[in-house]
Amino acid sequence: MSAGTTDPAGGFAHRALAIQYGLGLLVLLLVAAPLLPILYQSLLATSLYDAGHVLTLGNFRRLLATPGFGRIVWNTLVFAALTTLLAQLIGSLAAILFSRTDLPGRRLLGELFLVPLYVSALVLSFGWYTLYGPSGYVTALWQSTLGEPFWDLYTLPGMILVAGLTQAPLAYLYSMSSAALADPTLEEAARIAGAGALRTLWRVTLPLMMPAIAYSLVMNFTIALELLSVPLVFGDPARITVMTTFLYKVGITTTNPDHGLVATGALLMLLVICGLIWLQTRLLGSTRRFVTLGGKAARPRPFRLLRWRWPLVALVMAYLLAAVLAPIAVLVLRAFTSFLSPMVPLAEVLSLDNFATLIDYPVYTGAIWNSLQISAIGGAVATLLVALIAAIVHRSAFRYRAALHYVALFPRAVPGMIAGLGFFYAFALLPDLGGLRNSIWIIALAFTMRFIPAGLGAVAPTLLQISPDLDQAARVQGADWWTATRRIVLPLLRPALVACYTVLFISFFKDYSTAIFLFSAGSEVLGTSLMNLWTEGQAGIVAALATIQIVIIAACVGAVRAVFGVKLYG
Amino acid sequence: MADLLIEGLARRFGPVAAVDDLSLHVADGEFVTLLGPSGCGKSTTLAAVAGLDQPDAGRIVVGGKTYFDGARGIYLPPEARGCGLVFQSYALWPHMTVFDNVAFPLTLRRVRAAERRRRVEEVLALVEMEAFAGRHPHMLSGGQQQRVALARTLVYQPSILLLDEPLSNLDAKLRDRARSWLAALRLRLGLTTLYVTHDQIEALSLSDRVVVMNRGRIAQLGTPRAIYEAPAEAFVADFIGTTNFLPARVLAEAAGEARLALEDGQQVSVAVPRPPGAGRAVTLAARPEQLRLAEPGEASDAHGTVVTARLRGSAYIGGRWQLGLELGGSTLRVETTTLPDDAGGDLRLWLPRDGLLLFPAAA
Repeated sequence: MSAGTTDPAGGFAHRALAIQYGLGLLVLLLVAAPLLPILYQSLLATSLYDAGHVLTLGNFRRLLATPGFGRIVWNTLVFAALTTLLAQLIGSLAAILFSRTDLPGRRLLGELFLVPLYVSALVLSFGWYTLYGPSGYVTALWQSTLGEPFWDLYTLPGMILVAGLTQAPLAYLYSMSSAALADPTLEEAARIAGAGALRTLWRVTLPLMMPAIAYSLVMNFTIALELLSVPLVFGDPARITVMTTFLYKVGITTTNPDHGLVATGALLMLLVICGLIWLQTRLLGSTRRFVTLGGKAARPRPFRLLRWRWPLVALVMAYLLAAVLAPIAVLVLRAFTSFLSPMVPLAEVLSLDNFATLIDYPVYTGAIWNSLQISAIGGAVATLLVALIAAIVHRSAFRYRAALHYVALFPRAVPGMIAGLGFFYAFALLPDLGGLRNSIWIIALAFTMRFIPAGLGAVAPTLLQISPDLDQAARVQGADWWTATRRIVLPLLRPALVACYTVLFISFFKDYSTAIFLFSAGSEVLGTSLMNLWTEGQAGIVAALATIQIVIIAACVGAVRAVFGVKLYG
Repeated sequence: MADLLIEGLARRFGPVAAVDDLSLHVADGEFVTLLGPSGCGKSTTLAAVAGLDQPDAGRIVVGGKTYFDGARGIYLPPEARGCGLVFQSYALWPHMTVFDNVAFPLTLRRVRAAERRRRVEEVLALVEMEAFAGRHPHMLSGGQQQRVALARTLVYQPSILLLDEPLSNLDAKLRDRARSWLAALRLRLGLTTLYVTHDQIEALSLSDRVVVMNRGRIAQLGTPRAIYEAPAEAFVADFIGTTNFLPARVLAEAAGEARLALEDGQQVSVAVPRPPGAGRAVTLAARPEQLRLAEPGEASDAHGTVVTARLRGSAYIGGRWQLGLELGGSTLRVETTTLPDDAGGDLRLWLPRDGLLLFPAAA
């Protein structure tokens, strides 16, 4: 072989460090930016944007002295705890049923079960309202034939029912990631040792699911705590207030928001959630940090349901119809009607007026366009950020990579509304950078911060499956960290990046709570417009807008699956 | 090409010393193998030379270029070292063709396209893979992947070649072929090579010198023959080849000879250069091929000792029998071409006077 090989340029060591430190600082800034101003505001006597800052602890006293505050805390805890239990019960049962039994059509049923993940909780709440609310379709039908309905969603149990069923898919996903369901041989061993099907379920499957269930409980409790949609749609009319609706009212719907109170309440929620997540990591270690799903094809011996097969199929289908499909379908139907009631023949009320109204108002078309821009462009930038975070955390010698990982996952503990509030404060403190404060990009920024953990969850499992030998081989051959990342790691990560982009696109597109403190005239997004229209009582236009959201998300998911063959969950 | 100098290398993982004060010099063009059981520190040493793992202390110098110096705080990143490393997993990039895999190191070195193509073709011809340039790695067999991995390493003429168990993913037949191919290639190229394996046949057949490692330290460093025929300690004798160990006590020692009593009282004479003093507890080590059953009427003489042992079991291992014998409370393995008929009875076993080894008894 010929001579003349030179060493590759050696001055790149600094490049890796510059990227790693730069990105580390950026993520730290992104995560800390909304949090510190909330802390600051909670200690201020006046609003942050007013002149003359005076530090005080008075806000805490005032919050505790707010009339009915004890009731709010109690409602919040009961709502979150029972929602979590209900979601977990349904989720765990579904996980066992769909992955461990010979239930006919379990694959399709399992996918339908996940549909609520793709739809915003707000839209699902509207669907439930349209179907089962006081003047809902089913309610009216029941009234006209059977008398007074036995349910009332405008109660705490009603709210828990809606929220629990909305969150069940998440509990299902976490349960699916448990050791028992990921590795069928563990069960096989018990069966071969002579244990019957039920004993195996009780002694092996369930105990092995416990860590995943514990993790799922904490995550679902967090999500229930920060849920705004269900309490707003079903709790508010009955004057049942939880923390999120309290913050929403004090911070948004009053003309003169009391930000001392809002920030203190937000801080309280943050502390509770951080405490929970800390407890969960203490109890379980960090092993269950991501929902990792290996779609194991071979499930040699599923539990046999025998004569229960068809009754169970009927039960599952009834559940899916009543809890998932019908609420969405009726909302879509509502969009195409001027008035929806079982008493009025459908043909008489069918109309496109709702959509016509939408198109006539630039506010609404603008919101759709804004949401599309934020999701498409913001989602792409966020995907790049997530990819780099993952590469640094899992594939570099960066000294602070463990700290970076922690910081990047921290937004799990930050409810969307509070993240938005924090960015609102942060930009109130800063000079207005070229109109950023009133643009859609501040919303994209808040979304990015909020959904970094979700993005990492989509990327990290794949990254951990790529052998480190592959990038180390490039390093030994003369590629610096950045070249190895760019030429080897990122190309191999492409399917996961597509999944990550889709998850972020959908999350950005359906979010309604993060943006409520951040939008201004001209920078409305779909979620905030839905909320506003709802409070104005524009049910038909809400349904039309929600339909557009559902259609766009469905098209996005469908396209990704068709083109890339990437499944987002499961 | 260059020589490799390792001095006082140390690497701890928590309380475990993976590499413990290891020093080694590999001369220019020499082929040295690190051999040992898993966890002995051989892979950690290789990773330290490649720059994939930062040691705690010591010095690594290749051809006058300091890769690592704990005392002076020098640590070159892997990309600045110019080593060639063939991974156990081959680490071929699945998203690139064979050609692109091999061309990648040249692209990094900004070699122009025409020159790049020439050199990739040259090195693919060297490993007899030129017909596969357009394929992706998953379309190749294990042996072919291994050749591409080697080509990808050779193409940029590394200062030193590091091989991490390159044959361990191949099945037995293919491994034999790959081993002879690698031996031939090594003669042609004459690269300074550090080879890591747990397979003694690879180590003995390929290497100029073998480093037997145990618990992060060098147990023995020597030529393959020296390692096999004169293991420095019981660990080496046990790890390389098959060795029978018999606990014994020294009865008497005279110039170059020791008279031993086995546990059951039978006596054996062995010639050793520096016999231990009388009364010392020792371990007598004998390779199966050094032992044989005594001929009828054969007695102890100046060449060997005949002792009585009990036959405990036998196994046919293809062409010969492996016998399990009980002697002085220990089990011996001996190979014969014929099976003695009196299974379960006593046999007469011949031990040579020369060639057996004595180690201090394990505490």
